[in-house]
Amino acid sequence: MAEVRLANVRKGYGEALAVDDLSLSIADGEFVALVGPSGCGKTTTLNMIAGLLEPDGGDILIDGRRVNDLDPKDRDIAMVFQNYALYPNKSVRKNLAFPLQMRGLARAEIARRVDEAARMLDIGHLLERRPRELSGGQQQRVALGRALVREPKVFLMDEPLSNLDAKLRVQMRSELKRFHQDLKATIVYVTHDQLEAMTMADRMAVMQGGKLQQYDTPERVYAHPANAFVASFVGSPAMNLIPVRVTDGGVAGGGVAGGGWALDLPPELLARARQARGGVLLGIRHGAIRLLPSAAPGTVAAEVLTVEPTGDITFLNLRLGDTDLVASVPPEQLIAAGQRLWLTFDMARLHLFDATSERAL
Amino acid sequence: MRRGFWPLAGWLYLGLLAVFSLLPMAWMLITSVKTQFAAIQFPPEWIPSHPTLDAYAELLSPGREIGRVFLRYLLNSLWVSTATTVLGVIVAVPAAYAFSRFRFPGRNLLFYGVLLRNMFPAVVFLMPLFIMMRFLGLVNTQLSLILTYLTFGLPLSIWLLKGFFDNIPIQLEQAARIDGASRFKAFLLVVMPLSSPGIIATAIYSFIQAWNEYVYALTFLNDDAKLTLPVGLQHFFTEYATNWPGLMAASFIMSVPVVAMFLVLQKYFVRALTDGAVKS
Repeated sequence: MAEVRLANVRKGYGEALAVDDLSLSIADGEFVALVGPSGCGKTTTLNMIAGLLEPDGGDILIDGRRVNDLDPKDRDIAMVFQNYALYPNKSVRKNLAFPLQMRGLARAEIARRVDEAARMLDIGHLLERRPRELSGGQQQRVALGRALVREPKVFLMDEPLSNLDAKLRVQMRSELKRFHQDLKATIVYVTHDQLEAMTMADRMAVMQGGKLQQYDTPERVYAHPANAFVASFVGSPAMNLIPVRVTDGGVAGGGVAGGGWALDLPPELLARARQARGGVLLGIRHGAIRLLPSAAPGTVAAEVLTVEPTGDITFLNLRLGDTDLVASVPPEQLIAAGQRLWLTFDMARLHLFDATSERAL
Repeated sequence: MRRGFWPLAGWLYLGLLAVFSLLPMAWMLITSVKTQFAAIQFPPEWIPSHPTLDAYAELLSPGREIGRVFLRYLLNSLWVSTATTVLGVIVAVPAAYAFSRFRFPGRNLLFYGVLLRNMFPAVVFLMPLFIMMRFLGLVNTQLSLILTYLTFGLPLSIWLLKGFFDNIPIQLEQAARIDGASRFKAFLLVVMPLSSPGIIATAIYSFIQAWNEYVYALTFLNDDAKLTLPVGLQHFFTEYATNWPGLMAASFIMSVPVVAMFLVLQKYFVRALTDGAVKS
């Protein structure tokens, strides 16, 4: 296994920069997810690590060695593709054996490793079949097996679960995580699904517009988003972002006001809000909004637009002044559309962003 | 089977077409097993009363004058067609692959330029090519035919193969390259086997085109020993009497490789034409 380091990597397509000055260190044995909306540069980044694309600038190092000019075959990496890319004219056994044959391993050694990978992934009974005779989940395992037999330095995975149905995806998610724990493998995993990144990765690199937005553990990215984009991208439903202006006066000496409502802020938050050049975006996750049946000091009134029970939790779409936001309540709490409620925000979990730069304050 | 006027009319129409296209073939076969006397009889004999394989025996015996000449033409045709086919595949495969996979300046212009050749009837190029061949000193060589046939076959071959390569997901090659293959090896071990129906189809197409071509062979070659079959068959027409059974037997032998090839490989041929056209 090995560490991977990207230093100031750049890649453009024509005029547009797909990856813009990206620096990223992936430790030995770490599971890192590159996550972001489509077109954010995550797949381009992965393809550059693989050697399928050449960076326009910057360095890519695997285990301390600069690999910019190395062919994919010489980088000692394995890749799992979104469409699995199994060789359709070869049996599963031959698919698994192919990377070993390419490296000139002895026949007995190839057979041993193929059998071992097949046992580990529970695909022993499929070895003589062709890829098209397999279900999506089985193809996925074979693709994983083909990466596994090589015992490569780094595993690269490009949306490997997105062609599976929802139930299988959840199952494969935990299998992949166990696979990582057992192998202590270095994995770079590309996904557009923040939930996959959150659940599996040791660290997640959130990208947008070719730029790295934040690189940290899922817990920290969730709790301390570096900017408004990360705040709205990570977590489902997305964090509520409410444009407000900073006000003076009142009991606390100041607060924020939206269209038709106002709220006092504690001094520490108020000081941060005042750093903003222009307006402020108030960020609050659904779970940090408390709902009261009647008015109390420090609450603001809102109207319930729709109620969405999901079983474990019920989401409420609320109208607060001129903005909409999502809050949640336990399913036992019965609330009807059109009802009036009073909100308080958990001040410890309130986020403030500069409306112009979108940076966290 | 559904009954009614239109299905019936359809069958009738198709039946007529089948008779129309098969009758000459049948007549060719029937005449080839007749004697020269029976062949020119009127009214014609539909079922030969004294069928004989003399014409075939004569054509295929190298010891006799007519057989010696015929076999020479046959070998010439085989040589020219095979060389055209092999060279065509060697050129068309990498060209189509490049058009399919690489982005380079002038790519579209070049691609449509290649196809442009097919918009003109072949005869249009007869004189210019003849002048070029004379300039190159290739008149009266079989190489001149091979080169000419290549320019006829390549546009469709390249276009057909490009469709095939387009339909092979690029991730397969990428996977192969990551698995340890060079770009060329990935092409050879992964792309080529998957596109074999297309390669076979284009090979058949080039072979048949070269095998049947008449006008250029007639114009470029004047040495009797170098002629190909379509031109050579003219030797069966003489000023005074045409050897009809011989001519028909020779025609039949000439059509055997083409029909056999097509029958064996027709499933690839059909797949090539449809696979390339429809994205799955």
